[in-house]
Amino acid sequence: MAITQFAAIDIGSYNVSMEIFEVGRKNGLRSLTSVRMPLELGKDTFALKKISMEKLGELIRILTDYKRIMKEYGVTDLRACAKSAFREAENRDLIIDHILRATGIRVDILSNSEQRFLGYKSIASRGEEFQKFIEKGTAIVDIGGGSAQISLFDKDALVSTQNLLLGSLRIRENLSRIDRETLRYDALIEELIRSELVSFRKMYLKNRRIENIILVGDYFTNLIFQNRSDMNKTETRDEFMEWYKSIAEGSPREVGEEMGISSEVSTVLIPMAVLYRMLINEFDVQTIWLPGIQLTDGIAYDYGERKKLIKSSHDFENDILRAARNMSRRYASNKQHNEALVAASETIFNAVRKICGLVPRDRLLLKVACYLHDCGKYISMTDTAESSYNIIMSTEIIGLSDRERSIIANVVRFNTRSMAAYNPAERPKDLSTGDYMLALRLAAILRLAGSLDISYKQKADSLKVSVKDRELHISIGTKEDYTLERGFFDVNSEFFEEIFDLKPMLKVRTLG
Amino acid sequence: MAPSDSKKMSSTSKAAEANAAAKASDGAGVPDFTAPSNFYNREISWLGFNSRCLSEARDSKIVPLFERLKFLSITESNLDEFCMVRIASLKDQVHAGYKGVDIAGMNSQEQLDALSVKVHEFVHDQYSTFNRSIVPALLKAGLKIAAFGELEEAQKNFLHKYYEEVIYPVLTPMALDSSRPFPLVRNKSLNIGALISAKENSGKLSRKGKKKKPEMEFATVQVPSVLPRVIELPALSDGTRTVILLEEVIRGYIGELFQRYDVVCTCAYRVMRNADLTIDEEEAEDLLLEIQRQIKKRQWGEVIKLEVEEGVDKKLLKVLRREFKIADADLYYIPGPLDLTFCMKLYGLDGFDEYKEKPYTPAPVQDFEGAASVFDAIRQKDILVHHPYMSFDPVVSFVSQAAVDPDVLAIKQTLYRVSGNSPIIKALATAADNGKQVTVLVELKARFDEEHNIAWAKTLEKAGCHVIYGLLGLKVHSKITMVVRREEDGIRRYVHLGTGNYNDSTAKIYTDLGLFTCSESIGQDATAVFNMLSGYSEPDRWYKLLVAPIWLKDGFKKMIRREAENAKAGKPAFIRAKMNSLCDPEIISELYKASYAGVQIDLLVRGICCLKAGQPGISENIRVRSIVGNFLEHARIFWFSNDGDDEVYMGSADWMPRNLDRRVEIVFPVDSEELKEEVKHILTTEFEDNVKAHLLLPDGSYEKIDKRGKKLVNSQEQFCKEAWAKVPKKKGTKKERRFTPSEGI
Repeated sequence: MAITQFAAIDIGSYNVSMEIFEVGRKNGLRSLTSVRMPLELGKDTFALKKISMEKLGELIRILTDYKRIMKEYGVTDLRACAKSAFREAENRDLIIDHILRATGIRVDILSNSEQRFLGYKSIASRGEEFQKFIEKGTAIVDIGGGSAQISLFDKDALVSTQNLLLGSLRIRENLSRIDRETLRYDALIEELIRSELVSFRKMYLKNRRIENIILVGDYFTNLIFQNRSDMNKTETRDEFMEWYKSIAEGSPREVGEEMGISSEVSTVLIPMAVLYRMLINEFDVQTIWLPGIQLTDGIAYDYGERKKLIKSSHDFENDILRAARNMSRRYASNKQHNEALVAASETIFNAVRKICGLVPRDRLLLKVACYLHDCGKYISMTDTAESSYNIIMSTEIIGLSDRERSIIANVVRFNTRSMAAYNPAERPKDLSTGDYMLALRLAAILRLAGSLDISYKQKADSLKVSVKDRELHISIGTKEDYTLERGFFDVNSEFFEEIFDLKPMLKVRTLG
Repeated sequence: MAPSDSKKMSSTSKAAEANAAAKASDGAGVPDFTAPSNFYNREISWLGFNSRCLSEARDSKIVPLFERLKFLSITESNLDEFCMVRIASLKDQVHAGYKGVDIAGMNSQEQLDALSVKVHEFVHDQYSTFNRSIVPALLKAGLKIAAFGELEEAQKNFLHKYYEEVIYPVLTPMALDSSRPFPLVRNKSLNIGALISAKENSGKLSRKGKKKKPEMEFATVQVPSVLPRVIELPALSDGTRTVILLEEVIRGYIGELFQRYDVVCTCAYRVMRNADLTIDEEEAEDLLLEIQRQIKKRQWGEVIKLEVEEGVDKKLLKVLRREFKIADADLYYIPGPLDLTFCMKLYGLDGFDEYKEKPYTPAPVQDFEGAASVFDAIRQKDILVHHPYMSFDPVVSFVSQAAVDPDVLAIKQTLYRVSGNSPIIKALATAADNGKQVTVLVELKARFDEEHNIAWAKTLEKAGCHVIYGLLGLKVHSKITMVVRREEDGIRRYVHLGTGNYNDSTAKIYTDLGLFTCSESIGQDATAVFNMLSGYSEPDRWYKLLVAPIWLKDGFKKMIRREAENAKAGKPAFIRAKMNSLCDPEIISELYKASYAGVQIDLLVRGICCLKAGQPGISENIRVRSIVGNFLEHARIFWFSNDGDDEVYMGSADWMPRNLDRRVEIVFPVDSEELKEEVKHILTTEFEDNVKAHLLLPDGSYEKIDKRGKKLVNSQEQFCKEAWAKVPKKKGTKKERRFTPSEGI
């Protein structure tokens, strides 16, 4: 019976939510129950930079309750994800350890890009509906407390994703001192955020037509829409605007009364509604989709995919690679060389994968590293390694965790920097021992693959790689002179041999 | 209230009231549906219901004699509860200086004044029924309720022995003098008060040589509630069976309790105290402990009613009135035995079967017959159960089978009132024992069941169930059970939703409906209900259920308004609903508006009804009936015509503010067309009842339906027959005889 009961837990800044799913090959994801308990972890973190013991106790109590519910549904697997409230807490490791010991639940801290990616996956979990939507220019707008993520799609692929510091709470905090001086709270918000949106449009919407918008977010997004329609609904711009007038043009008190919520909550909702409205106008979209999804949907979808219980019609890996490609283009990388590098790296990776326990996810990291391997040249031709590292570390790549980003940045650094193979003393601080080993392995592959196109001329017409008797046999078919490549191959093969305990052997066949 | 009496009661000019109501308009011709003149006071309306019960006790033509005893007993226990809660609450309001008015525009004092008059009238009617109608009929049937002085010798001997051995050891006589304060007299307890004077003082002369007036002391003895109130004696020599009441025996032997005294006079008396629990839930650290404390206090609340025997000695009465601080309005002279609930004990006497209804055995539910398990049956289709016509066993089996089913992961249930030895509680404990996740919401605040509920809630907790003790500020009145089961194709949730409590005892006498389903959307909603009750978030949406306190009233209002819109648009529009009580002003106003728009509204309201039916310009299209029969009408059904696409709902909620605003209630749709037809048939039959139904007249009185020239329809009897008609008759197993020739050698 390929049906699993899975619990997805989302530890947010204001709520701790859990949704239990049935994940199966036949029916995909089926939500069995969802619960939510208010807990203002964010208040602690944002003010004190740490999570208090009192809040920890409350969180443990909630998670213990959730474990009981899990038992009620025979849950066999779970994933608990925490976001900014944990990310920004200095005592996060201690808190995670306490939770693990008290409840047996291991909490994963999501990077912003991972979090957004899971949110995006949750929309994609709608299957055909989502695919149909993103065939045309589409923006996914995901507004949280601190920031808003805008992801643009065109022809079935992610073309850009940007994080803007326009979160509903952040806007509220920025306006808290002056909101008493105006009767039109919405107008004040509009003035505050207009300049940011105009910049965004100029930079990313040039020559791009956005026809659809998908509105997602946290608990508050669902709250502002709850009273007016069933979730998972599409509507026209005119319908949206009609609703907007009724909700966002009132004072926080009026909106609170209308919706049966406190005015404190409505002061968070109004910025969110205004932001949604402005984006709709700015992008000039015609159709709005409110899929009514939560992060927990994304966590479950991701789980189903990993367990091969769900097969997505959308290629999420391609989104990550596309984002990496766009980034390399921005830093003027050589497209042909990058593609040749990806092909060679992947062939070598596939040959050695099983021998040294590399997993498919590592292949994705390697490919991203290929695209970004020389982005630092844009800054400095002499210190490319460090520049590339810095560019990668300061850029969000959707779908990657902070840890994965560090691995990629170090792979790229090890690729260029002259270094004496494995040296524990040189392990970068941002990598664990395991990740250091992984980064060295991927860098060894990248270096070897790089040497096969060191002239950037894509001389190889064919490439075959196999492992035999502790040797890595690389067979190249080419019509051109391959001397330069041979020379660099020998230099890089030493590094590869030390890391993999496989001696790279190059055989070049000259094609007629 | 009997029709003639209720006409008397409503002697205030009803016609004038109706006209005033019609005139109270917004100036544009639309009447003001919310004007107080458009509503009846709920307490007076409740007394009307008790009068309808009493009319059953009076009905010697249709109701068998011993069933009449039962009705009389019910009117007494009803009235006791009414006084302890409703009158007590009004008194509290007066003490607190509350000046607000009720739905009918009466302030608390005005209500108390009106009620005092009506309760006195009611008590008079009760005893006139007992003395003039029932006692002679009992005698005719061969049962005598004897006084102490009229016993035959053999009976006296029997009784003396009984007194010595059984009664005397548990009596605690108490005398009141300067050294001993007035004893605490328990709520509702029956007592015998006496004035006694010391024998040594009798005959003493005063200084002036005159015979001294004996100094009298007050003494009292509680009639022990641990002993049977009705004692059957050996039959009279003519064969008449004889009973005597316990207080009569004690009074007969009272001299033996005060041997150094002369007993000057005696009188049975009973006090009713304020028994409404006042719990500050916000302040209560532990609700369970707080309720336990309050239950103890209930015994000693303010005395709000004193009953004494008619002809009580003036001096004795003076003592009682002084001690209990009783005003004239709250003093009742009772022309017969106090506390008529003993009539239920008479009903329980063996024999007299010809004077009792034949006991009804609930029919088995056919949809469950032959199924491997209740779950198999429910998987086939939604199943409706109509109690007590159909057996309550499937409801018990639902929990007990789940308790031992290896595929069941969890059981969740709300419990309001359960029976003393509840099989459901046992099954829940077994389930927890078997490692199931069991969550039970126990409503500790279920009035007068608090003590009982605490006891079994603790039992469940000990068994390992997760027990939730209600919600802050809300009573959980919904009746819902959910079983989570892991099946081959995934998790399936089985849900039972009911209109009545999970009480196997009352399920034999209350008419209720229940629905078993494994519908995904109801399963989702049921999960959301339990999540909400467990203190987790409220759901963002409900798929099927209407849930109070937040969503239910609006849901009903929308459906009533939809009918009004349909009527305005010239479409056929009607509402047919059944409930225990109707007193929510918002809902009533909506009904008036709908009636005004042309919606035909037929209501079956067993008890309180604050709506005025048939008022010109207000409610001409509204008809209200009340059925008081052998079974207590308890189901809530709501049927909206919805422009031909009928919507039928059932649930735990009445149209009362307490149900819609202060309780967790569930109203659920009947979606299956087959079941919808069944429920519609039930309502239709009840509206056709002309034996047990009473019609609310425009003047506020009720009268029995005119059945002249009509086929008699007793809906309860009909449902009994229909339930058994569904049960296939067992074919006689004819033994087949066959002669087998022996094999040839």
